[in-house]
Amino acid sequence: MIVGGGNVGYYLTKSLSTEKHHIMIIESDYSRCEQIASELGSGHIEVTNGDGTDIECLREAGIYYTDAFVAVTGHDQNNLIACQLAKKCFGVKQTISRVKNPKNIRVFKKLGVNSVVSSTEGIARVINQELDLTDINSLFQDRSSSVRLRKIVVGQGSTFEHKCLRDLGLPKGLILIAVLHGNQAVIPNGDTQLEPGDEALLMGSETDILNASSQFKR
Amino acid sequence: MYVIIAGCNRVGASLVKKLSEEGYDVAIIDRNESNFSKLGNGSNCKTVTGIPIDEDVLKEAGIEGADAMAAVTNDDNTNIMVSQIAYKLYHIPMVITQINDPEKQKVLADTGIKIVCPTALTMNAFFDELNGGKLEV
Repeated sequence: MIVGGGNVGYYLTKSLSTEKHHIMIIESDYSRCEQIASELGSGHIEVTNGDGTDIECLREAGIYYTDAFVAVTGHDQNNLIACQLAKKCFGVKQTISRVKNPKNIRVFKKLGVNSVVSSTEGIARVINQELDLTDINSLFQDRSSSVRLRKIVVGQGSTFEHKCLRDLGLPKGLILIAVLHGNQAVIPNGDTQLEPGDEALLMGSETDILNASSQFKR
Repeated sequence: MYVIIAGCNRVGASLVKKLSEEGYDVAIIDRNESNFSKLGNGSNCKTVTGIPIDEDVLKEAGIEGADAMAAVTNDDNTNIMVSQIAYKLYHIPMVITQINDPEKQKVLADTGIKIVCPTALTMNAFFDELNGGKLEV
Protein backbone atom coordinates (compact mmCIF):
# COMPACT_ATOMS: atom_id res chain seq x y z
CA MET A 1 0.00 0.00 0.00
CA ILE A 2 1.38 3.38 -1.03
CA VAL A 3 0.06 6.63 0.46
CA GLY A 4 0.70 9.62 -1.80
CA GLY A 5 0.35 9.68 -5.56
CA GLY A 6 2.72 12.56 -6.32
CA ASN A 7 5.87 12.07 -8.37
CA VAL A 8 7.50 9.80 -5.80
CA GLY A 9 4.42 7.60 -5.40
CA TYR A 10 3.86 7.45 -9.13
CA TYR A 11 7.36 6.38 -10.07
CA LEU A 12 7.62 4.04 -7.11
CA THR A 13 4.49 2.28 -8.30
CA LYS A 14 5.82 2.19 -11.82
CA SER A 15 9.11 0.60 -10.75
CA LEU A 16 7.42 -1.91 -8.47
CA SER A 17 4.82 -2.87 -11.04
CA THR A 18 7.27 -5.04 -12.94
CA GLU A 19 7.96 -7.13 -9.88
CA LYS A 20 4.56 -8.73 -9.55
CA HIS A 21 3.47 -6.88 -6.44
CA HIS A 22 -0.15 -6.07 -5.84
CA ILE A 23 -0.23 -2.31 -5.25
CA MET A 24 -2.89 -0.02 -3.81
CA ILE A 25 -2.18 3.73 -4.06
CA ILE A 26 -4.08 6.19 -1.87
CA GLU A 27 -4.17 9.76 -3.16
CA SER A 28 -6.28 12.68 -1.95
CA ASP A 29 -6.57 14.56 -5.26
CA TYR A 30 -9.32 13.08 -7.42
CA SER A 31 -8.02 14.13 -10.83
CA ARG A 32 -4.56 12.86 -9.95
CA CYS A 33 -6.17 9.51 -9.04
CA GLU A 34 -7.86 9.36 -12.44
CA GLN A 35 -4.57 10.10 -14.14
CA ILE A 36 -2.68 7.41 -12.23
CA ALA A 37 -5.46 4.90 -12.78
CA SER A 38 -5.56 5.49 -16.51
CA GLU A 39 -1.79 5.35 -16.89
CA LEU A 40 -0.88 2.57 -14.46
CA GLY A 41 -4.17 0.92 -13.50
CA SER A 42 -4.29 -2.83 -14.08
CA GLY A 43 -5.29 -6.04 -12.37
CA HIS A 44 -2.57 -5.61 -9.80
CA ILE A 45 -2.40 -1.80 -9.49
CA GLU A 46 -5.40 -0.04 -7.94
CA VAL A 47 -6.06 3.54 -6.84
CA THR A 48 -8.17 4.79 -3.93
CA ASN A 49 -9.22 8.43 -3.67
CA GLY A 50 -8.98 9.54 -0.06
CA ASP A 51 -6.92 10.66 2.91
CA GLY A 52 -4.24 8.11 3.81
CA THR A 53 -4.26 9.35 7.39
CA ASP A 54 -7.94 8.53 7.82
CA ILE A 55 -8.68 5.20 9.49
CA GLU A 56 -11.85 4.55 7.49
CA CYS A 57 -10.07 5.27 4.22
CA LEU A 58 -7.22 2.88 5.07
CA ARG A 59 -9.73 0.19 6.00
CA GLU A 60 -11.65 0.58 2.75
CA ALA A 61 -8.45 0.48 0.75
CA GLY A 62 -7.79 -2.98 2.19
CA ILE A 63 -5.00 -2.27 4.67
CA TYR A 64 -5.65 -5.58 6.46
CA TYR A 65 -4.02 -7.42 3.57
CA THR A 66 -0.95 -5.19 3.44
CA ASP A 67 2.56 -6.66 3.69
CA ALA A 68 4.38 -3.37 3.35
CA PHE A 69 3.09 0.15 3.92
CA VAL A 70 4.83 3.08 2.24
CA ALA A 71 4.06 6.76 2.94
CA VAL A 72 5.43 9.18 0.36
CA THR A 73 3.26 12.30 0.52
CA GLY A 74 4.98 15.68 0.52
CA HIS A 75 4.12 16.34 4.16
CA ASP A 76 6.23 14.72 6.86
CA GLN A 77 3.47 14.86 9.47
CA ASN A 78 1.03 13.03 7.19
CA ASN A 79 3.59 10.34 6.40
CA LEU A 80 4.28 9.77 10.10
CA ILE A 81 0.63 9.53 11.12
CA ALA A 82 -0.19 7.23 8.17
CA CYS A 83 2.60 4.83 9.24
CA GLN A 84 1.59 4.98 12.89
CA LEU A 85 -2.06 4.25 12.06
CA ALA A 86 -0.98 1.32 9.89
CA LYS A 87 1.06 -0.08 12.77
CA LYS A 88 -1.13 0.70 15.76
CA CYS A 89 -4.60 0.21 14.35
CA PHE A 90 -4.01 -2.44 11.72
CA GLY A 91 -0.87 -4.27 12.85
CA VAL A 92 1.09 -3.74 9.63
CA LYS A 93 4.62 -5.00 10.29
CA GLN A 94 6.67 -3.16 7.69
CA THR A 95 6.28 0.62 7.43
CA ILE A 96 8.45 2.77 5.19
CA SER A 97 8.31 6.54 5.01
CA ARG A 98 9.75 9.37 3.02
CA VAL A 99 10.76 12.51 4.90
CA LYS A 100 11.40 15.91 3.39
CA ASN A 101 13.24 17.35 6.37
CA PRO A 102 16.31 15.10 6.94
CA LYS A 103 16.17 15.86 10.67
CA ASN A 104 12.95 13.90 10.80
CA ILE A 105 14.78 10.65 10.00
CA ARG A 106 15.72 10.37 13.68
CA VAL A 107 12.26 11.45 14.83
CA PHE A 108 10.45 8.92 12.64
CA LYS A 109 12.71 6.06 13.72
CA LYS A 110 12.18 6.90 17.39
CA LEU A 111 8.44 7.01 16.83
CA GLY A 112 8.34 3.52 15.35
CA VAL A 113 8.60 3.80 11.57
CA ASN A 114 10.71 0.86 10.32
CA SER A 115 12.53 2.50 7.42
CA VAL A 116 12.94 6.19 6.72
CA VAL A 117 14.16 7.61 3.44
CA SER A 118 15.16 11.19 2.74
CA SER A 119 16.04 12.23 -0.78
CA THR A 120 17.23 15.58 0.54
CA GLU A 121 19.65 13.84 2.83
CA GLY A 122 20.85 11.58 0.03
CA ILE A 123 21.54 14.53 -2.22
CA ALA A 124 23.09 16.57 0.60
CA ARG A 125 25.42 13.68 1.34
CA VAL A 126 26.50 13.55 -2.29
CA ILE A 127 27.18 17.28 -2.22
CA ASN A 128 29.10 17.03 1.03
CA GLN A 129 31.28 14.32 -0.44
CA GLU A 130 32.21 17.06 -2.89
CA LEU A 131 31.34 14.95 -5.81
CA ASP A 132 31.71 17.29 -8.72
CA LEU A 133 28.44 18.45 -10.22
CA THR A 134 29.67 17.35 -13.62
CA ASP A 135 29.81 13.80 -12.32
CA ILE A 136 26.16 14.00 -11.26
CA ASN A 137 25.22 15.50 -14.58
CA SER A 138 26.98 12.77 -16.47
CA LEU A 139 24.97 10.35 -14.35
CA PHE A 140 21.79 11.97 -15.66
CA GLN A 141 23.13 12.04 -19.21
CA ASP A 142 23.93 8.34 -19.05
CA ARG A 143 20.25 7.80 -18.47
CA SER A 144 19.59 10.02 -21.51
CA SER A 145 17.58 12.39 -19.36
CA SER A 146 17.24 16.13 -19.82
CA VAL A 147 17.63 16.73 -16.06
CA ARG A 148 20.57 18.87 -14.98
CA LEU A 149 21.99 20.00 -11.65
CA ARG A 150 23.46 23.50 -11.54
CA LYS A 151 24.88 25.77 -8.90
CA ILE A 152 24.00 29.43 -9.33
CA VAL A 153 25.21 32.32 -7.21
CA VAL A 154 22.58 34.87 -6.23
CA GLY A 155 23.83 38.19 -7.57
CA GLN A 156 23.81 41.59 -5.88
CA GLY A 157 20.59 43.34 -6.96
CA SER A 158 19.09 40.13 -8.32
CA THR A 159 15.30 40.15 -8.71
CA PHE A 160 15.23 37.23 -6.27
CA GLU A 161 17.20 39.03 -3.57
CA HIS A 162 15.52 39.02 -0.09
CA LYS A 163 12.46 37.28 -1.52
CA CYS A 164 10.73 34.18 -0.11
CA LEU A 165 11.07 31.11 -2.26
CA ARG A 166 7.33 30.77 -2.71
CA ASP A 167 7.16 34.22 -4.28
CA LEU A 168 9.85 33.60 -6.89
CA GLY A 169 7.45 31.98 -9.34
CA LEU A 170 9.90 29.25 -10.32
CA PRO A 171 8.47 26.87 -12.96
CA LYS A 172 6.97 23.59 -11.73
CA GLY A 173 9.68 21.27 -13.04
CA LEU A 174 12.49 23.28 -11.48
CA ILE A 175 13.56 22.30 -7.99
CA LEU A 176 15.73 24.32 -5.62
CA ILE A 177 17.48 21.54 -3.74
CA ALA A 178 19.66 23.46 -1.35
CA VAL A 179 20.83 26.95 -0.55
CA LEU A 180 24.46 27.23 0.47
CA HIS A 181 24.72 30.20 2.79
CA GLY A 182 28.27 30.76 3.98
CA ASN A 183 29.35 27.36 5.23
CA GLN A 184 25.77 26.35 5.98
CA ALA A 185 23.62 24.21 3.68
CA VAL A 186 19.95 25.04 4.09
CA ILE A 187 17.21 22.73 2.84
CA PRO A 188 14.79 25.34 1.54
CA ASN A 189 11.06 25.66 2.07
CA GLY A 190 8.59 28.29 0.87
CA ASP A 191 9.73 30.73 3.55
CA THR A 192 13.43 30.50 2.72
CA GLN A 193 14.89 33.83 1.60
CA LEU A 194 17.74 34.24 -0.84
CA GLU A 195 20.54 36.65 -0.01
CA PRO A 196 23.21 37.98 -2.37
CA GLY A 197 26.20 35.64 -2.36
CA ASP A 198 24.10 32.56 -1.56
CA GLU A 199 24.66 29.59 -3.82
CA ALA A 200 21.50 27.92 -5.07
CA LEU A 201 21.54 24.30 -6.21
CA LEU A 202 18.95 23.89 -8.91
CA MET A 203 17.68 20.76 -10.55
CA GLY A 204 15.51 20.75 -13.66
CA SER A 205 15.60 20.94 -17.43
CA GLU A 206 18.42 22.87 -19.08
CA THR A 207 15.93 25.44 -20.42
CA ASP A 208 14.26 26.06 -17.05
CA ILE A 209 17.63 26.44 -15.35
CA LEU A 210 18.87 28.87 -18.01
CA ASN A 211 15.72 31.00 -17.75
CA ALA A 212 15.93 31.11 -13.97
CA SER A 213 19.66 31.77 -13.85
CA SER A 214 19.30 35.14 -15.56
CA GLN A 215 16.93 36.20 -12.77
CA PHE A 216 19.25 34.86 -10.09
CA LYS A 217 22.15 36.86 -11.43
CA ARG A 218 20.54 40.13 -12.41
CA MET B 1 6.57 27.16 34.56
CA TYR B 2 7.45 27.39 30.89
CA VAL B 3 4.75 26.48 28.36
CA ILE B 4 4.98 26.12 24.58
CA ILE B 5 1.91 26.48 22.37
CA ALA B 6 1.95 25.24 18.76
CA GLY B 7 -0.58 27.06 16.55
CA CYS B 8 -1.59 30.70 16.89
CA ASN B 9 -5.26 30.38 16.04
CA ARG B 10 -8.20 31.31 18.29
CA VAL B 11 -7.43 28.50 20.74
CA GLY B 12 -3.68 29.11 20.78
CA ALA B 13 -3.98 32.87 21.18
CA SER B 14 -6.56 32.51 23.98
CA LEU B 15 -4.33 30.03 25.80
CA VAL B 16 -1.40 32.44 25.58
CA LYS B 17 -3.50 35.26 26.98
CA LYS B 18 -4.82 33.24 29.90
CA LEU B 19 -1.46 31.64 30.72
CA SER B 20 0.31 35.01 30.65
CA GLU B 21 -2.30 36.49 32.97
CA GLU B 22 -1.70 33.67 35.42
CA GLY B 23 2.03 34.27 35.38
CA TYR B 24 3.30 31.46 33.17
CA ASP B 25 6.18 32.01 30.75
CA VAL B 26 4.86 31.25 27.29
CA ALA B 27 6.25 30.73 23.79
CA ILE B 28 4.03 30.34 20.74
CA ILE B 29 4.88 28.82 17.36
CA ASP B 30 3.07 29.45 14.08
CA ARG B 31 4.11 29.07 10.46
CA ASN B 32 2.53 32.41 9.54
CA GLU B 33 3.96 35.43 11.26
CA SER B 34 0.77 37.39 10.52
CA ASN B 35 -1.17 35.09 12.87
CA PHE B 36 0.68 36.56 15.85
CA SER B 37 -1.47 39.68 15.43
CA LYS B 38 -4.20 37.62 17.14
CA LEU B 39 -2.19 37.93 20.35
CA GLY B 40 -3.05 41.63 20.51
CA ASN B 41 -0.88 44.44 21.73
CA GLY B 42 1.08 44.19 24.93
CA SER B 43 1.60 40.44 24.80
CA ASN B 44 5.12 39.73 25.97
CA CYS B 45 5.21 36.04 25.10
CA LYS B 46 7.93 34.70 22.83
CA THR B 47 6.83 34.21 19.21
CA VAL B 48 8.59 31.80 16.87
CA THR B 49 7.78 31.69 13.15
CA GLY B 50 8.18 28.26 11.61
CA ILE B 51 6.72 24.83 11.07
CA PRO B 52 6.22 23.28 14.52
CA ILE B 53 7.25 19.78 13.37
CA ASP B 54 10.77 21.07 12.74
CA GLU B 55 13.09 20.35 15.66
CA ASP B 56 15.09 23.50 14.99
CA VAL B 57 11.92 25.54 15.37
CA LEU B 58 10.98 23.70 18.56
CA LYS B 59 14.45 24.30 19.99
CA GLU B 60 14.19 27.99 19.17
CA ALA B 61 10.94 28.04 21.14
CA GLY B 62 12.85 26.50 24.05
CA ILE B 63 11.56 22.94 24.03
CA GLU B 64 14.62 21.82 25.93
CA GLY B 65 13.53 22.51 29.47
CA ALA B 66 9.87 23.36 28.82
CA ASP B 67 7.39 22.15 31.44
CA ALA B 68 4.32 21.78 29.29
CA MET B 69 3.17 21.92 25.68
CA ALA B 70 -0.17 22.31 23.95
CA ALA B 71 -0.43 21.33 20.26
CA VAL B 72 -3.48 23.15 18.91
CA THR B 73 -2.79 23.85 15.22
CA ASN B 74 -5.64 23.32 12.77
CA ASP B 75 -4.01 20.14 11.44
CA ASP B 76 -4.54 16.92 13.42
CA ASN B 77 -1.48 15.23 11.95
CA THR B 78 0.79 18.14 12.84
CA ASN B 79 -0.57 18.12 16.41
CA ILE B 80 -0.05 14.37 16.78
CA MET B 81 3.50 14.60 15.47
CA VAL B 82 4.50 17.64 17.53
CA SER B 83 3.10 16.19 20.74
CA GLN B 84 5.03 12.96 20.24
CA ILE B 85 8.28 14.83 19.59
CA ALA B 86 7.71 16.85 22.77
CA TYR B 87 6.71 13.89 24.94
CA LYS B 88 8.88 11.06 23.68
CA LEU B 89 12.00 12.83 22.43
CA TYR B 90 12.20 15.82 24.77
CA HIS B 91 10.40 14.22 27.74
CA ILE B 92 8.14 17.17 28.45
CA PRO B 93 6.03 15.91 31.36
CA MET B 94 2.71 17.51 30.36
CA VAL B 95 1.67 17.41 26.72
CA ILE B 96 -1.86 18.15 25.54
CA THR B 97 -2.89 17.75 21.93
CA GLN B 98 -6.02 18.72 20.04
CA ILE B 99 -7.36 16.07 17.66
CA ASN B 100 -10.54 16.81 15.72
CA ASP B 101 -11.02 13.35 14.23
CA PRO B 102 -12.21 11.16 17.15
CA GLU B 103 -10.94 7.98 15.44
CA LYS B 104 -7.41 9.34 15.19
CA GLN B 105 -7.06 9.46 18.96
CA LYS B 106 -6.12 5.80 18.71
CA VAL B 107 -2.65 6.74 17.47
CA LEU B 108 -1.84 8.20 20.86
CA ALA B 109 -3.56 5.54 22.96
CA ASP B 110 -1.44 4.38 25.93
CA THR B 111 1.21 7.05 25.34
CA GLY B 112 0.53 9.37 28.30
CA ILE B 113 -0.16 12.29 25.98
CA LYS B 114 -3.40 14.03 26.92
CA ILE B 115 -5.97 14.41 24.13
CA VAL B 116 -8.69 17.01 23.68
CA CYS B 117 -11.21 16.22 20.95
CA PRO B 118 -13.47 19.22 20.18
CA THR B 119 -15.74 17.03 18.04
CA ALA B 120 -16.38 14.60 20.88
CA LEU B 121 -16.78 17.43 23.42
CA THR B 122 -19.39 19.18 21.27
CA MET B 123 -21.23 15.91 20.60
CA ASN B 124 -21.31 15.05 24.29
CA ALA B 125 -22.48 18.51 25.29
CA PHE B 126 -25.20 18.38 22.65
CA PHE B 127 -26.52 15.00 23.72
CA ASP B 128 -26.34 15.92 27.40
CA GLU B 129 -28.56 18.91 26.62
CA LEU B 130 -30.93 16.83 24.52
CA ASN B 131 -31.39 14.24 27.22
CA GLY B 132 -31.35 16.79 30.06
CA GLY B 133 -34.07 18.69 28.21
CA LYS B 134 -35.95 15.42 27.94
CA LEU B 135 -36.22 15.64 24.18
CA GLU B 136 -37.11 12.11 23.19
CA VAL B 137 -36.74 10.71 19.68
